[in-house]
Amino acid sequence: MSRQPSPVDAYPATIVVAIACVTLAVVTRMFGPPEEFEELLLQHGLLSPALVADGDWWRLLAAAFLHGGAVHLVFNLMMLWSLGPALEQSLGSVRFTALYVASAVFGNVAVCLLYDPRQPVLGASGAIFGLMGAAVALNMRSGRHALAFLDFEGPRRLLGTIVANLVIGFLLPFVSNTAHVGGLLAGFAVTWLWLRPGRGPSPGLRRWRLAVGALALALLGWSGYPVTRADWLADAVARAADPGRALQLTEAFAAAVGDGPRDRPRPRGR
Amino acid sequence: MPPFFASAARQLPLALVWAAALWPVLLWLVHARDPVAAVRLAQGAAAAWAAAWPWALGGALATAALFPPAPAFVRRALHRARQALLLDQQALLLRLDDLRQFETAARQLEVGRMLRQARKHEQAIPHLGRAVELDETMAGGWHQLGLALFALHQWPAAARCCERAEALDPGHAFGDALLVLGRCLFMAKDGRALATLEEHARRHGGSPRSWLWLAEARARAGDPPGAVAALRQAAQKPTVALSPEDGWFRALARVRLWGKGGRA
Repeated sequence: MSRQPSPVDAYPATIVVAIACVTLAVVTRMFGPPEEFEELLLQHGLLSPALVADGDWWRLLAAAFLHGGAVHLVFNLMMLWSLGPALEQSLGSVRFTALYVASAVFGNVAVCLLYDPRQPVLGASGAIFGLMGAAVALNMRSGRHALAFLDFEGPRRLLGTIVANLVIGFLLPFVSNTAHVGGLLAGFAVTWLWLRPGRGPSPGLRRWRLAVGALALALLGWSGYPVTRADWLADAVARAADPGRALQLTEAFAAAVGDGPRDRPRPRGR
Repeated sequence: MPPFFASAARQLPLALVWAAALWPVLLWLVHARDPVAAVRLAQGAAAAWAAAWPWALGGALATAALFPPAPAFVRRALHRARQALLLDQQALLLRLDDLRQFETAARQLEVGRMLRQARKHEQAIPHLGRAVELDETMAGGWHQLGLALFALHQWPAAARCCERAEALDPGHAFGDALLVLGRCLFMAKDGRALATLEEHARRHGGSPRSWLWLAEARARAGDPPGAVAALRQAAQKPTVALSPEDGWFRALARVRLWGKGGRA
């Protein structure tokens, strides 16, 4: 009689991600005084585009394991638990980990590209949207044709869940839908192009992999070196050793700031 | 659509991804020379992007209003995209697997036909070529090969294939081989084009596509009244729902007829 593998054997990466999220909630003292919680979040990887541009690249991944409150954490863990095991068993633990990391990072890259430099963001839902995008890609790859999965109830519900979550994200001002969309696209693209390429002849696959890979590298680089953004320029002025270069950067900063600095933005969860 | 534009349109999505990937690199390079210029460039691009949407929408509406085939063109483009998306990958893989087990002309033809229907003409040609190599008497193979070559604007080669199909099985595919042969001859500026298209119209009747092609052949042969008569036939109000492909040809015929001061 065959034995069912234990969860640790069947989907270890999902369990590790869940444990990491809970551990960081404890480490950052989620239920402690708010000031201390915010300070610990900042220490442990809270993301803001300005901090990433300042050299803290690790925040692109670390922010995906932090949460802003118990409800935030519980909802993300529920979604992780409903999607992660099936996906990990389908893809394998190594590829699942690659998918999770890519979705988390590129969800946060989207934030760095589009948000106010000082906007703080945290949460795992960019990565979880990446898992949903991967599930859509897997469904599209596994049918008789790309839209055959629409004949089945489960995949249709998955699409409904994605749409409902995006609508909720647009309606609630404290939810970062940019990270959701970034993670969703990254999860879909990684699965479609790398993790589960088509089984039939597809001579364009290599060209698409190259182009999308180049785009990913460029966007990642732009998160760290956004040379036309005011916060990066201000920092570069301070660091410039050459007075001529400092003057050049000051002029560029003045051009970029335009109407002056804005109010401090409120934190957003994902 | 001329091959250059068709090829450019196919490469457009990939080109856009490359353009997006190279944009930060361009800004970094400009920044290294002149930081202010980089800021101005980024701000100008952002402003142009923000302003482009209303213009694009207005342009699309104006095109639809001024160029009546636009809805027919969109319908045909959507139909083609849907066909490409709905290619039965599983069936194709099974056919390819069958081919690896045992090769026959019919199996090669089936794979080629499926690829051609998915508009992967370049991939279809080796299979179709092999099918007619294995069985030279296969009219369907010659016809499909002719259609694939026709789609790639290889007019003389496509004409030879369709001529072979028509010789093997007169009236093959309800006259489609003869029709495509006539069009290939027309595109290759062969004098037999008009006679072939007239014969097709006589033997098989017509569709918006065949009437439009006949009108073009008559116009080139110096028969404007005959061309207008054919355009009228092509632009006739259909009694049954037209396919997106035929709808496109009817829309083109209507526009050309208006250009000549006539109506359907």
